[in-house]
Amino acid sequence: MSQEEDFVLLESSDGYTFVVTRRIAEASGTLKSMLDEEANFEEAKNKTCKIQQRGVILLKVIEYLAYKVQYAEFNAEDIKEDFSDRIDPYIALELLTAADFLEA
Amino acid sequence: MAMSMGAARRGKPKIRPPKRPTSETPIKDTWTKLANAIREIQNHNASKLSYEEHYRYGYNMVLHKHGDQLYNGVKVLISEYLDKLAEEKIVPTFPRSGGTRGAGKLGGGAEAIERALEGDRFLKAMKSAWEDHTGSMRKIRDILKYMDKGYSTANGLPLIYEVGLTLFLQHIIRSIKHPIHTHLISTLLSQVQLERDGETITRSTVRECTDILLRLNVSEREGGKTVYVTDFEPEFLKRSSEFYGLEAVEELEKGDAAQYLRRVERRLAEEADRTVHYLSTTTHPALQELLIANLLTPHLQTILDMPGSGLVTMLDSNRIADLRRLYVLYLKVPKDEGKIALRSSLRNDIEERGKAVNQGNSISERSETGAAEAGPSNSSKLTQDQNGNDGIEEENDNTGGGKGKGKAKAISSSPTSAGNALNSALKWVQDVLELKDKFDSILETAFMGDKQVQVSINEAFQSFINANPRAPEYLSLFIDENLKKGTKARSEDEIESALEKTIVLFRFLSDKDKFERYYKNHLARRLLYARSASDDSEKQMVTKLKMEMGFQFTQKLEGMFTDMRLSNESANTFRNYLNRHGALPIDLSVNVLTASYWPQPIVATTSCTFPAALQPSMETFQKYYDSRHSGRRLTWQGNLGTADVRVRFKTRSHDLNLSTHALVVLLLFEETKSGESLSYPDIKSLTDLPDSDLSRTLQSLACGKFRVLTKIPKGRDINMNDKFEFNESFTSNLQRIKIMQVSSNKPENSKEREETQEMVDEERKHQVEACIVRIMKDRKQMTHNDLISEVAHQLSTRFSPTMSLIKKRIEGLIDREYLERTNDMGSYRYLA
Repeated sequence: MSQEEDFVLLESSDGYTFVVTRRIAEASGTLKSMLDEEANFEEAKNKTCKIQQRGVILLKVIEYLAYKVQYAEFNAEDIKEDFSDRIDPYIALELLTAADFLEA
Repeated sequence: MAMSMGAARRGKPKIRPPKRPTSETPIKDTWTKLANAIREIQNHNASKLSYEEHYRYGYNMVLHKHGDQLYNGVKVLISEYLDKLAEEKIVPTFPRSGGTRGAGKLGGGAEAIERALEGDRFLKAMKSAWEDHTGSMRKIRDILKYMDKGYSTANGLPLIYEVGLTLFLQHIIRSIKHPIHTHLISTLLSQVQLERDGETITRSTVRECTDILLRLNVSEREGGKTVYVTDFEPEFLKRSSEFYGLEAVEELEKGDAAQYLRRVERRLAEEADRTVHYLSTTTHPALQELLIANLLTPHLQTILDMPGSGLVTMLDSNRIADLRRLYVLYLKVPKDEGKIALRSSLRNDIEERGKAVNQGNSISERSETGAAEAGPSNSSKLTQDQNGNDGIEEENDNTGGGKGKGKAKAISSSPTSAGNALNSALKWVQDVLELKDKFDSILETAFMGDKQVQVSINEAFQSFINANPRAPEYLSLFIDENLKKGTKARSEDEIESALEKTIVLFRFLSDKDKFERYYKNHLARRLLYARSASDDSEKQMVTKLKMEMGFQFTQKLEGMFTDMRLSNESANTFRNYLNRHGALPIDLSVNVLTASYWPQPIVATTSCTFPAALQPSMETFQKYYDSRHSGRRLTWQGNLGTADVRVRFKTRSHDLNLSTHALVVLLLFEETKSGESLSYPDIKSLTDLPDSDLSRTLQSLACGKFRVLTKIPKGRDINMNDKFEFNESFTSNLQRIKIMQVSSNKPENSKEREETQEMVDEERKHQVEACIVRIMKDRKQMTHNDLISEVAHQLSTRFSPTMSLIKKRIEGLIDREYLERTNDMGSYRYLA
C-alpha cells in the first residue's frame, strides 16, 4: 500500500482536487479504510475520495499528513519544526473537526 | 491532528466557527440508509457504496447522540444476517451421522470415506460462513469506525467487530434454532477418529474450524476462555481417553511388548503432530498426559513382565532400541511410577541372572569338592611331587624365616585337580563381570546413564554377589589369577582393566574384611613364591584398594610389600657380611616378615627341628641379624620355603627343588643305610613337624609323581604306622625335578572355609568391641538403639554386623566393666 507511485485523488467540497500519493493519504485512518482495496468500497475502486471540507482545509490536512509521514520515523525531540506554526488560527477550529473526522 | 491552539495568534481575531456538521437529513433517514448499506455489505456489494458517505452517517449519528440506536441497530442487523446464514448455508450440509456420540470405531472402508467427505463438507460450510461473516464484519467495522471511537469505547461496550464474533457464537455455533453445536463438535471428533483409524481427512478444513473455535471467546460469565477450551477440548479428551483405553487393552492382548511400545511411541508422535497441525498446541500437554495415563500407567508391570517380549527378553537379546524406547516412554509416566517399575523389574531381573550365576557356580563347585574330598586326606593343597633319594649333597638352597619364614623359588605348578574348583571360582567372577559389562553398556546406551537406574542395577549386583558367601574369596582368587605369573600372557592394559573391573565388584561386597583376609593370604603366597607377574600391577591393585577403603585397610598389605623390599636389601648386606666373615656352608636367603602384617597361618609358629646340616647357615644369619637389629626375635618358619638340593641316586644325580619341610625330612635319610626305613613316628619325633605338615610333606615325597621315598606299605594315604625308605633306584629323564607340595592359590574346601569363617568371626568380635568402645568413649552415654545403629554404620564399610553380634559384644563389655547400664532402661554409660 505504500507504493510511492500509487496516487489517489482527494476532492474537496468546493471542487478542488488534490493528487497525493497513497502513502500520504493513508496516514489518515479514515482515508486508509476508505481506500482499502480488500473491502473495495466505491472510493477504493475509483481511487477518488470526496471529502466534505473546503479546499483550504483539505490542503492543510494534506500538508499535515505529509508532515506526519515525513517524521514518522523520528524521535519527538529530533523534530525541529513545529507544525502548529503553520496553522492559521482562522481555520483552526474547522481543521480540528476535519482531523477528528479523518482520524488524522 | 496534533496541533496546539496557542500557537499562532496573529491576524484579526475573527475566527469562523466550523460548519456545524448538522446533516440536513433527519436521523431516521440516516439510519435507514446506513442499514441498507450494511445489508449491501453483507451481500458483498460494498463496491457500490461510498465509504465516505456512510462513514459520515455513522459520524453524524454518533455526534447527534444516537450512538445507542446505531449500535443496537447494527447488532440486530448482524443477528438477522447470521440466522439467515445458518439457515441457508450450514443446515443443509449437516452430516447424516448427525449428533451421534460415543467412542469406538466409526466403521471402515467406503463408509468411513463417505463420513470423512460428509464431515469435510459440513466443516467447509462452517468455514465459509465464518469467512463470509468476518469479511463483512471487517467492512462494517471500517464504516463504523467513528462509532467504535466515539461511542463503543466511550461507553465501555465491546467494539463492533467483537460484537460480530460474539453474535457468530450465539447465532451459529451455539445456535438455539439449529443443532449446529452438536454437529460441529461431533464432526470434528469423528474426523479425528477417522484419522486415528487410518483414514485420510482434509486436515486444513479441520484446522480452520478449530481456529474458529480458538478465535471465539465465551462470555466473561462463563470464564472468558475460548470456545475451543470450553466446548471442544473436554469432549475431545474424553473421547480420546475412551479410545486409547480400549486400544491399550486390545494391543496388550497381542502380547508383544516391543511392538506395543513402538505403537505407543507412534501414537504419541501422531497426537503431537495432530495438535500442531489442526488442533491447538494448548491441548498438547493434556493429550499426552492422557495417552500416557491410558496406554502406559495402568500397564507398566504388564508390559515389563510380558512373556517372550518383556524386559527379560529385551535384556536377553540386547535389544537396545527397544530398551531405550521403554525407558524414554516410562520416563513420561507421572510421579516417576514408570521409572520405579522399570527399576524394580530391572533389579529383579539382574538378581535372577545373578542367582543363575551363583547356582551355576555352586553346581560345579559341588561336583568338585565331592571329588576332592574323596581323594587323599589332605585334600585341598594340590601337590605335584616326585620321589627318589640318595645322599644329600652339595649346595642346599636353604630357607628359614625370621619372625616369619623362608624364601622361595619360583614354582609354577599349574592347577590340575583343584583346577576345577579354581576354574569355577574364576568363572563365577568372569560371569559376574560379563553381567556387569552387559548392564553397564545397556545403562549407557539404552537408559541414558540414568543415575537412579544405575543405583538399582548396583543394588541388584550387591544383593546377589553377597548372596554368594564365597564371593570375597573368589574375587581375591580372580585377582590372584590376574596378578600371578604363568597364567596366560596378558598385557599390562588387560591386567589393568581386569583389576579395574574387580574393584567395581569389590565395592559391592559387604564382607570386605573377609576379602581382606583372603587377599592377604593370596598376596603372601604370591610374594613369598615370587610369583607376582609385576610389582607395578600389585602396587596398583593395593592403591586401588586404598582409594576404595582408605589407609587402614591396606596398611598391612603395604607392610607386606615393605617386608619384601627390606628382605631384598638385607639379602645384599648379608652377602657383604658373608664376604667379610667367610662363606656359608650352604647358601641361604631369608625373607624377614613382620608377624603382624602377614596372615596368621603363614606366620603362626610351627615347630620344626632343622637338621644339623642347616644349622651353621641359620646361626650365621641369626648372628648377622642380631648384629643389625637389637631386641628383635627371629622365628624360623619353614613352611613356605623352598630348597634346591642335589641328590645322588643309583643311576645318576638329580637336582631336586623341594619345600623346606621336604628337605628337612629328606635329610633324615642321609644317615640311613640302604634298605633301612624310618617309621612315621620316628620322622615325627626327629623333625618335630606337626602332623598335618608332616603327612603332606611325606605324601609329596612318597606318593607323588616323583617318588624319592618309598612308602611301606604302598598307598596314597599316609598312616601313622607307615614306614619310609630312600628310593635309591629312582630314575627320571629330567636333571632338574620339582617336588613341590606348594599349593597355588585356589578355593578352599569346606573345612578350610569354616576355619576362615571362624577367624573372620573372631576378628569381627574384636572390631565390634573396639568400635563400641570408641563410640562410647566419645559419647559417654547412649541409648541402645543409637549405639547399635552407630556401630552398624561405622562398620558397614568393612562388613555388616548382625544385631545379635553387636548385642553380645555389648554384654561382653558390660561384663568386663567397660560399660554399665543406666537406670533408665535401654541406655549405656561408658566407664573410664
